[in-house]
Amino acid sequence: MKNDEVRLMLAIVAVWAALAAVYALVPSLGMPGYVRVWGGGAVVFLLLAAVLTLSGRRGDGGEAPRS
Amino acid sequence: MPDPRHFTTRRGFIAGLGFGAVSLYGAWAAYGAAPLPFGHTPSATPEPEAHGHGGSNGDSHGGHAAAAAPTADDFRLEHETFLRTYAQTDGSVDPHAASHGGARSHGHAHGASQGAPHGGHADEGHDDDGSATEPVTVFLMAQKFAYSPDLLRLKAGQAYRFRMMADDITHGASIQLGAASRIIRLRPNIISEQTITFTKPGEYLVYCTVYCGQAHDAMQGRIIIV
Amino acid sequence: MDTIPHDAPIMAGSGLTARIRTLPRPDKALLNLLFGAALLALVLGLADGLLTALARAGALTFFPDDAYRLLTVHGVSVFFYWLYLIQAALLLALAAAENSRGLALRPAAWAGAALMLAGFAVSEWISYTGTPLLYDGSPELAVDDPRSVGFFALGYLLLSAGLTASAVSGIATLLQPRRRGEAEEFGAVGFALFAWAGFLIVSAIAATNAFLPGLLWSLGAGPFPADHGTEWHILFHNLHYLPLMATVLVWYVLTRHLTGVTSIHGARLSKIVFAAYLVFVPPTSLYHMFLEPNLSEGVRVVGSLLSLFVSVPTLAAFAIIVSSLEASARAHGATGVFGWIRGLPWGNPAMANMGWAVVNMMVGLTFAFVLIQGELAPMLSDTFFVPGYFHLFAVGVLTQTFLAALMVLLPALNGGHLWRPALLARMPALVTAGLLLFAAAGIAAGTMGVPRRVFDVGYGGMAPAAWPVLMALVGIGASLFAAALSVSVYGVVRTLLSGRKLSAMELPAVDWKAGQNRIGAAPAWTGPASIAALVAAMYVFTIAAFQLIQSLPVAVIGGGHGH
Repeated sequence: MKNDEVRLMLAIVAVWAALAAVYALVPSLGMPGYVRVWGGGAVVFLLLAAVLTLSGRRGDGGEAPRS
Repeated sequence: MPDPRHFTTRRGFIAGLGFGAVSLYGAWAAYGAAPLPFGHTPSATPEPEAHGHGGSNGDSHGGHAAAAAPTADDFRLEHETFLRTYAQTDGSVDPHAASHGGARSHGHAHGASQGAPHGGHADEGHDDDGSATEPVTVFLMAQKFAYSPDLLRLKAGQAYRFRMMADDITHGASIQLGAASRIIRLRPNIISEQTITFTKPGEYLVYCTVYCGQAHDAMQGRIIIV
Repeated sequence: MDTIPHDAPIMAGSGLTARIRTLPRPDKALLNLLFGAALLALVLGLADGLLTALARAGALTFFPDDAYRLLTVHGVSVFFYWLYLIQAALLLALAAAENSRGLALRPAAWAGAALMLAGFAVSEWISYTGTPLLYDGSPELAVDDPRSVGFFALGYLLLSAGLTASAVSGIATLLQPRRRGEAEEFGAVGFALFAWAGFLIVSAIAATNAFLPGLLWSLGAGPFPADHGTEWHILFHNLHYLPLMATVLVWYVLTRHLTGVTSIHGARLSKIVFAAYLVFVPPTSLYHMFLEPNLSEGVRVVGSLLSLFVSVPTLAAFAIIVSSLEASARAHGATGVFGWIRGLPWGNPAMANMGWAVVNMMVGLTFAFVLIQGELAPMLSDTFFVPGYFHLFAVGVLTQTFLAALMVLLPALNGGHLWRPALLARMPALVTAGLLLFAAAGIAAGTMGVPRRVFDVGYGGMAPAAWPVLMALVGIGASLFAAALSVSVYGVVRTLLSGRKLSAMELPAVDWKAGQNRIGAAPAWTGPASIAALVAAMYVFTIAAFQLIQSLPVAVIGGGHGH
């Protein structure tokens, strides 16, 4: 189940990175700000996915989720 | 073992309801994408891109209709010529009136308005009765806190190619049409072009819909359709 | 019988309030500071908003610069500082409650608060004294006043930095149980908080992208930010989603607190829905730009088609919450089609605020769909249609939801009770009534072409006679909802300031928690019926708008092709 959370974060990363790539690779769209923001967002969510993975490894199991 | 729950309380139904309801929007989106007389009807007339009717302003392609798109400075020159050519004694601008030089503005590739540096070349071979198939080119410049021209006299049933630009900062050039308005946003130094045909005579308010400073409320003009 | 047998009132939401009550004292101090600052921003924004509405209605007259200053302060205070201070505070409060042991990285949380409050001070000061730039701070309005542009940008940049620091603390707090080995996955709320915190950081990136160029230009260290309009749209789009996601998250929390009900569909589906908020952010972003003259036709069409996904996560979350509530209520004996709704604890102001927020959302969504039709943009964008419908969200949905959260959290935080709950429970209906009048008149005015940012709509007698009348109705609606909202805000502020001086008092709640084997035997049609009604209303109003646009005495080709 905890892999679900990482997968969901990676799905977000994939969509944001894809959109950033579209704006980067089609200059005629003329909106470089989208590359910076969606690309930056992809990096942020990738970091969060990594943090989730690492923090999951440190724990050794435990309580059920609260809600 | 069958799920004892009623289907309206099952996870699959709820997920389908939340995510699947969007499929109902397909018709909504298709409706929006359908051609409208108020908007984009690509097949109705030639695409009103400006690329084919600029370039007679002394740039490197001077005089060729298919030359590079006009620049903001080209626009300013053409706008000045338009005003000079068709200004009337009451302060209005009427592209159908005889110009000071006897020119007409009909036709998008030959009009006086495209011959900016020359002060208005006559365009030959076009009707003058208001039913011309070629749109008549008119210019509208928005600047703090007025339009130039601020009073246009046009004819019902005639197509007009409105070439518009903001001179300083972002403005609107919206036309009040009774039950609703036609909203146009003008960015500085970006030439916008729309072909507009008024179907009813009347006096129409033109007003700014983008906040542009202290006298934004007072920024208005008129189009009189006869 | 068309009702539900009343369960005995229970001590409201034992889990959440108990965990808030036991937070460490420094965390409580920080949360009180942030809640107080957020409420101050709301008060400022509400006061200036009311003055703006009255001026637009013709009841007050201001010099133009002063009028646009009021509008600037209104937008800056509400849209940025109320909504983002409260989101930061709620993120920290709910994350600390999830953790049960208070905040992690407490210095980051305090640094975040300090930065946001510094931004608040700078933004308010320059909005009251500088060139009026409205809440988007467009530099082109002050090319001869770089000082105003620079300080305006600085305020938002400080807010962004503070949001980032707060979000980092929130993320660290949420991860602590995992790091201690006490949990190996989030619950639905924990995951939503985690994703929301990430989104706050991304929005800070978007704000930096939009406003750093203005600051650099004002310092002589960069070119004039000519692309501010586009960069603002990106930030603005994020700022649409972020508080909506926060709102749905708060609904999850409050539903459990007020009724004991959690999702009957499992945490996994809820996590997917919360992740969907983020998945859909980038693809739906183009509809803000439909009127831009340099947007190509192809991008315009694609943007319009994608825009319809904008509501998917909110509708999905709505369906989850409503079906869970209805099924749980029926498991406790609710009968009749809508009888279960009467069984909700409406006497609790938090419930009343949340419930009416849902009503506002359904109405607001209907008109949001009309607005995001690309073909309708030339009739509706930049008109009063926009504030007409978005106040249903900003006030009716977001503000009422966040006030509901405060009505639960503040008594737990400070040990007192909520000020005059019976009175407060009546306010959301009045707020909604005022909003509906405001929205109906505003949407009608916008559809007729009234611009969204003009104080005198007479245009020397050239404007349609209906315009001033509709704007007067807008002013009446605004006065009504502002008055009712002021009572709610006053109650929350009194609760914040009174602390333990008010004795504890139990507020109505129900306990509909039911075993899985009892859930779902009866049908639960409220959710599907609501969504069907929404879709039907969306079609009706969209078709009406198309009929109107086609009836105008004009034929137009070309949507503003740029060169």
